[in-house]
Amino acid sequence: MQPIITAKNLWKTYQMGEVTVVALKDIHLKLYEGELVVILGPSGSGKSTLLNIIGGMDKASNGELYYRDTPLHKADDKQLTFYRRNDVGFVFQFYNLMPNLTAYENVYLSAQISQSPLPVEEMLEKVGLSDRANHFPSQLSGGQQQRVALARALAKNPAILLCDEPTGALDFQASIQVLKLFKDFSETYRKTVAIITHNAAIAQIANRVFYLKDGMLNKVERNENPLPPERVSW
Amino acid sequence: MLWKKMIRDLRENKGAYLATIIIIVIGLMVFTSFSMVMDNLRLSQQSFYKNQNFADGFIEVQAMPPSEIEKLQDIQGINDVQGRLVKDVKVLFPNRDENVYLRLVSVDPAKKNPINGVQLKQGIPLSNKEMNILIDNKFFEANNLKLNEEIEIIADGKKRALRIIGVGRSPEFIYALRTSSDLYPSPESFGIAYIPFEVMKTLFPERETMNNIVFTLRPGADYDNVKERLKPELKPYGLKSIYPRKDQTSHLLLTQELKGLEATARVLPLLFLSIAGMILYIMLKRMVEQQRGQIGILKAFGYTHKEILSHYMSYALTIGILGGIIGGFLGIALSFPFTTLYQTYFNMPGLTSKFSPLYLVLSILLSLGFSLFAGYQGCKGILILQPAEAMRPPAPPIGKKTWLEKITIFWNMLTVQGKMAVRNMSRNKSRSIFIFLGIMFTFSLLGLTWSMNDLSQRMLFDQYEKVETYDVKVSLSNPLNQKKVSRELNHFPGVTRVEAMAEIPVTLKNKWYKKDVVLLGIPEDSTLYNILDKNYNKVDPPKNGLLISERLAKLLGTEVGTKLNVESLMIKDPDKAKQLEVVGVIPQYLGLNAYMDINSLQEFLGQGELATSFMLRMDEESIALLQNEFRKSAAVSGIDDQTERLAQTKELMASFYGMIFILALIGIITGFAIIYNSSVITLSERSHELASMMVLGMTPAEVLSVITFEQWFIGIFAMLAGIPMSQILLIGMSQSISNDVYTMPTNITASSFLIAFFVTAASIWIAQRFAGKKIQKLSLVDVLKSRE
Repeated sequence: MQPIITAKNLWKTYQMGEVTVVALKDIHLKLYEGELVVILGPSGSGKSTLLNIIGGMDKASNGELYYRDTPLHKADDKQLTFYRRNDVGFVFQFYNLMPNLTAYENVYLSAQISQSPLPVEEMLEKVGLSDRANHFPSQLSGGQQQRVALARALAKNPAILLCDEPTGALDFQASIQVLKLFKDFSETYRKTVAIITHNAAIAQIANRVFYLKDGMLNKVERNENPLPPERVSW
Repeated sequence: MLWKKMIRDLRENKGAYLATIIIIVIGLMVFTSFSMVMDNLRLSQQSFYKNQNFADGFIEVQAMPPSEIEKLQDIQGINDVQGRLVKDVKVLFPNRDENVYLRLVSVDPAKKNPINGVQLKQGIPLSNKEMNILIDNKFFEANNLKLNEEIEIIADGKKRALRIIGVGRSPEFIYALRTSSDLYPSPESFGIAYIPFEVMKTLFPERETMNNIVFTLRPGADYDNVKERLKPELKPYGLKSIYPRKDQTSHLLLTQELKGLEATARVLPLLFLSIAGMILYIMLKRMVEQQRGQIGILKAFGYTHKEILSHYMSYALTIGILGGIIGGFLGIALSFPFTTLYQTYFNMPGLTSKFSPLYLVLSILLSLGFSLFAGYQGCKGILILQPAEAMRPPAPPIGKKTWLEKITIFWNMLTVQGKMAVRNMSRNKSRSIFIFLGIMFTFSLLGLTWSMNDLSQRMLFDQYEKVETYDVKVSLSNPLNQKKVSRELNHFPGVTRVEAMAEIPVTLKNKWYKKDVVLLGIPEDSTLYNILDKNYNKVDPPKNGLLISERLAKLLGTEVGTKLNVESLMIKDPDKAKQLEVVGVIPQYLGLNAYMDINSLQEFLGQGELATSFMLRMDEESIALLQNEFRKSAAVSGIDDQTERLAQTKELMASFYGMIFILALIGIITGFAIIYNSSVITLSERSHELASMMVLGMTPAEVLSVITFEQWFIGIFAMLAGIPMSQILLIGMSQSISNDVYTMPTNITASSFLIAFFVTAASIWIAQRFAGKKIQKLSLVDVLKSRE
């Protein structure tokens, strides 16, 4: 099976004054269609950096990165914008919704720029917020906002969904609800979902788990029987 | 340490702060340079008036013997009186075709501290023995004359040579105009010559009489009382006019200029400093909000309110001081070329600029005052923050529906970006109002500027191309019989049409209003002088009443149907009160006149068929011939060639374009600064939203469009509001600069609005491109990691 994301020998270094900080060291990984992966690691381990590079928001200092056959390490800003526009969906810890657009409009904003969007109403229904479509973010709870953010990411019909600590700001119940949606999405639409977290319990729902420490990929675990999200607890 | 923080903060937003400083600098440049030029002019005027003993009153008579004039000295209230012979003569310069005139003003070389004394710049004083003159320095320079050179003039029909033995100037001719319809001095073709009376009287047939009197008043004497006492004494000698210093042409125009400078020096800087203050206020307010975490930490450390406040105020302080110093110095520097420019129009000694510490200090104080006030208003929110509260993020912005959403047709037309923009506008009302005012200001300043350009052209060219359409105007020294002169001129080769004109000085009175004007008598079927109404339709001069100009109607408080009392020394029986009815009001941009049919006017005056000048339609080739023929005639006082006059006017208009250009530039810079700054503020305020959109895959251009949509949306309405605003500004401008010599029209031309629209739009567009560069630099990763 052809991987959807291929990283070879990926390095990321920052120059902080006179010190060179190495954020990622020699990362090799492949992500496949329809799988749900969790990238687990403590803070400062480089997980967000990795996710940002995969999502086309940042560039590696060295190494190769492919989306299917497209070499992203050679892409310019314009091509990366295009990649984010059509192929990637993002979900963040702090939702990042447009405060002065309603839930519906937030999702629509994203759908309208995609080449093959999914229906906005359907996405809102999927995340269980059809009745809140006309609410502004400030009128929604954190869990509801995160579900709008998810609907927004999904409406573009991306090949890959990247989630950076998506449950970090949510209570337990809301977290489980969101995780169920991720799982559901990867299974029903055969999409790749990558979740970054430092919460080891979440790793139980993944097909594969990547362990990241000090910028290095220590271990990859295949999970033959992932747990359904509702059975996870922490 | 906090200073370092400030400098770094300033550097981070250097574009926006720089724009603020530039606006302050422009305002202060105007303030300093205009105030200094005004001071220089005023100082120079006052000392010149005092040193040369400038007259308080002016009298014109037909002819009066010097001995009688001396007796006026005894009239109560009069300090000193001096009689003169004043005559315009033509100058014959070899190899020059155009008309050159000298005004000969007689002086008494023996008199000590004479009224309107001539300040000698070069050469030696006059003597009674020979044909010598002092000549005014502008004429001297403009015509490349030399001391001891002789110039030829025509006096009483005879060629005479006058030797220039000195160069000088008098307070009477600081702004020297030959006729009241001239707008600018023209030193190449008109100058003043001072000549001993004993010499001058030999040139003219009047011999022992004088035609002009100047006098000074005793301290505390009332001009009007003195005038009433003078009148009966002067009547036997053919009193033509008597007027106070404030109506003297040169003084009047200088005073007008000073008034205009004063108004500009006060209003414009206030406007600019207010705009800069507003920008500073918004920027500091934004910064305090953004840095509330830092403020909380500082407070937690134990920094006092005062210390933190003074830290944030130091931004305003720095900007205020920088703006004040730069603006002050540049303004002082600008006052030098400005003063030099005024030297070319106003002929006064001591008109120079010098470094003024006072204005530098004033500039800094003004700039500081505005900056600190605006800064304090922006920063005072710090004071009420508690440390713990400060470290918490502010409450998130609340999304809300706006009333515009109720207009479903409009709302559904908008893209999601458009909807965001509209909601943002109502979310941040004060910012939107600021953008609105800024664009309106830019637009109206541009509209006003271009209109003034259009209108001043119209003012001049309408007069010369549509109203006074004659080729040549022959003015007579004294009124003559209309038929006789017409006949003679008609026979001149190349002349195809001759029309007579009567120019009669009159005093028009209505209730307590009164005004001295020239009443023009024009032939009923005139084709050489067209009286036009507002819509450029020709109006016939009335037979049974007066047509008066709009401004005159206003000054006299009259309307159509009002009966005016008419007094004139040219009415046969001047003591009999005579009335004329106003039958129409017309616009008149150049001069201030009343009009009447010439025959009816002659009848009204009862002095027979008198005319004072003649308008001719003639071949261009024959004009020189006509000038040659009548140059020596004592009966002719002037021959005006219309094409020459038009060319001169066009030349002078060129100097006006510089001012237009500067005003337009100010408008553009202001528009740019306002849009750029508000874009930058919006960017920093909404970096989260904008970065989120970038992550979604929107291009920088698409992201920028959210901000630009907002600005264009406000901009369109602001420009619409700018239309009446320019109109108001123009009316204000017109009222402040209109005088008896010219009236500024107040209708703005459509082309000005079009230009204002395009230039405003261009400056908005360019500012947005600059701001757009900042979007590309947004670091998506940093922005999104932090909580808003």
